[in-house]
Amino acid sequence: MATLKPMPVATKISAPFWQALKENQLKIQQCNSCDGWVFYPRNHCTHCFAHDLQWKQISGEGVLYSYTLTRIPTMPEFSDEMPQALAVVELAQGVRINTTLIDVAEQDITIGMAVKPVFDKVSIDGETLLRFTSTENVGGVRDYIDPLKDLTRNDQGQVQVPVSNLTALSALADNKFTDWSNQIVVDQALINAFAELSGDDYWLHTDPERAKKESPFKTTIAHGSLVQVLQSRLTIALPFEIIGFKTMVNYGSNRLRFPAPVPAGSTIYGRSKVQDISVSHKGVQLTLEVHIHVVGSDKPSVINDLVILYR
Amino acid sequence: MGLSGNAAIVGAAQYKPEKYQTAPQMFHLEQVADLAHKALLDAGLHKDDLDGLVINGPHFHEASVFVPAMAAEYLGIEVNFAEVVDLGGCTAVAQIWRAAAAIEMGLCQAVLCVIPARMAPLGPDEDPAWMAQAMRFGGHSTAYGAPEAEFDLPYGHMGQNTGYAMIAQRYAAQYGYDKSAMAKIAVDQRFNAQYHKDAIFRGKELTVEEVLASKLVADPLHVLEIVMPVAGGAAVIVASKELAARAKKRPAFVTGFGERLSFKSPSYAKDMTVTPVAEAAKRAFAMAGLTPQDIHAAQIYDCYTITVLLSLEDAGFVPKGEGQRFIKEHNLTWKGDFPLNTHGGQLSFGQAAAAGGFSQVIEAFDQISNSAEGRQLKGCDNIFVSGTGGVMSEQGALILQGG
Repeated sequence: MATLKPMPVATKISAPFWQALKENQLKIQQCNSCDGWVFYPRNHCTHCFAHDLQWKQISGEGVLYSYTLTRIPTMPEFSDEMPQALAVVELAQGVRINTTLIDVAEQDITIGMAVKPVFDKVSIDGETLLRFTSTENVGGVRDYIDPLKDLTRNDQGQVQVPVSNLTALSALADNKFTDWSNQIVVDQALINAFAELSGDDYWLHTDPERAKKESPFKTTIAHGSLVQVLQSRLTIALPFEIIGFKTMVNYGSNRLRFPAPVPAGSTIYGRSKVQDISVSHKGVQLTLEVHIHVVGSDKPSVINDLVILYR
Repeated sequence: MGLSGNAAIVGAAQYKPEKYQTAPQMFHLEQVADLAHKALLDAGLHKDDLDGLVINGPHFHEASVFVPAMAAEYLGIEVNFAEVVDLGGCTAVAQIWRAAAAIEMGLCQAVLCVIPARMAPLGPDEDPAWMAQAMRFGGHSTAYGAPEAEFDLPYGHMGQNTGYAMIAQRYAAQYGYDKSAMAKIAVDQRFNAQYHKDAIFRGKELTVEEVLASKLVADPLHVLEIVMPVAGGAAVIVASKELAARAKKRPAFVTGFGERLSFKSPSYAKDMTVTPVAEAAKRAFAMAGLTPQDIHAAQIYDCYTITVLLSLEDAGFVPKGEGQRFIKEHNLTWKGDFPLNTHGGQLSFGQAAAAGGFSQVIEAFDQISNSAEGRQLKGCDNIFVSGTGGVMSEQGALILQGG
């Protein structure tokens, strides 16, 4: 699951903290030597330097130490949270945590107010961020809401994602392949036609007699760039349609590889997955990882990380 | 312990702050050489007098390691003292005391302190987008294992604005918040900028009403209370008393300094409203044998108005919690009874990245050396200068005195 917002990447030091959050628990470290509490996770105690910390489950109740409401998002990706209620919470154990307040009206936020944790499920995989809310609220767990759930679908059943809906866009980058496309045959006639068009008439592609004797493949093979462009004849059913943009540009490729040959006469098909979505001053950039295989072969003949720019 | 006042600022050079889009592009090495040349001319010293180099390491364009060696070789000098400083907006102040300390220890006699801050030209195949990408997270590291990448960025805590805003909110809850007093900091400094030919906001006067009507960025900070990044760069020559006697201008002796680094994120401060300059200034005043009452002008690092308020209080110019009253009761312009940031401050002069801190150092030198043109203070001998890096993370203090 990719997200446009930066996500925490656990280390071997911090993993128990993030794992506990997934299980709707808050665990922080306490020093066995001086009883001092430590946050964020470390291997040592910041009070006495002893390397003897133990994870302890705590309730997470605390007070709001400070906060700000942002009137300009700190990154465009956070524009769905406006105003962001960025907060510092001081837990009963005395340690402070950077977080956000949720479900508290602007005028009800006061420094010193009592707060408690909310375990916010931010991805379908259960990744959990630690947010806080007023002790007058229910708190507990905030379930993951699929941002694609309430979007309309076109007549092909594709979910229609507006290019301005960054939350929904981020949900598309799930790294899951589509179904296989239709199949097409790459025969010698097609290879010859491409050789003539491109000027690449190397014998490995165009001379079946010589290839039988001298090629390691024992037959002619299609040009890698031919198989690459045949993507246009493969109908790969993406589960979504991006809408609401002014222009869509093929921005090129981040990676183009031909890991396996396509012998003349092979049948090929393809599939793709959304590898990445990012936002920059140029617009929204979608990286589509396209794989083309000889039917039945595990090894792709083409890997193409296509970059498409919407604005 | 400390300095004996045997080292002084003797010359300086500073690029006029300009918008990045229209500023000349120069390699950082090229800027270092150009600024060094201009600062030496200002001092009336020669290239061969230089035997020390203090340079900023982060964001140096042509190297990320061995920066002093590359710069010294490029300049064509050999040095007895070479140093990189990585303290954000505190770097300029930190460079000056390190140079003074090295001179007093007898390591060297003239030190080039330098921070280039114009953009370098893009390479023929360089994608200009990388810089926009690199700036997205402000001073926050995105490296694997960096605590802020793991515990700040996912919540949207990033850049500088929100950290300073949270400090201001905490201050407001503890001591109260007078928006018009905070705006007056920016307004009085803008007045000063009208008298500096290089100030980016020269020719644009400002009122309290305009500050308060400007866009809120993060409560309670308005956009006109936040510094504007510009292209620039600066160099200062610190020299021994003996060399200073040969200099063209009246030297500004470095008689006291202090430095304090307390945290990276103010969320982990012992008390968010007590800033590291408290310790730094106490040490600086004690070293110089002066008190805040002896100071003729204060050049206080001003990335935000809240930085100025807290620095005034914590450096001892006014008791804690009384800063806003003090600001309203005093005229902070160069014509007033408490001259503050007499060049306009970075808020009105412009902030050329880490070199912005030099604008305060150089203004102190200009005042002491009688070079402050239309805004010259009379009888200005003792100046307090502060530097601030990160989000009040690290602060430094200097006492500069005319000899």
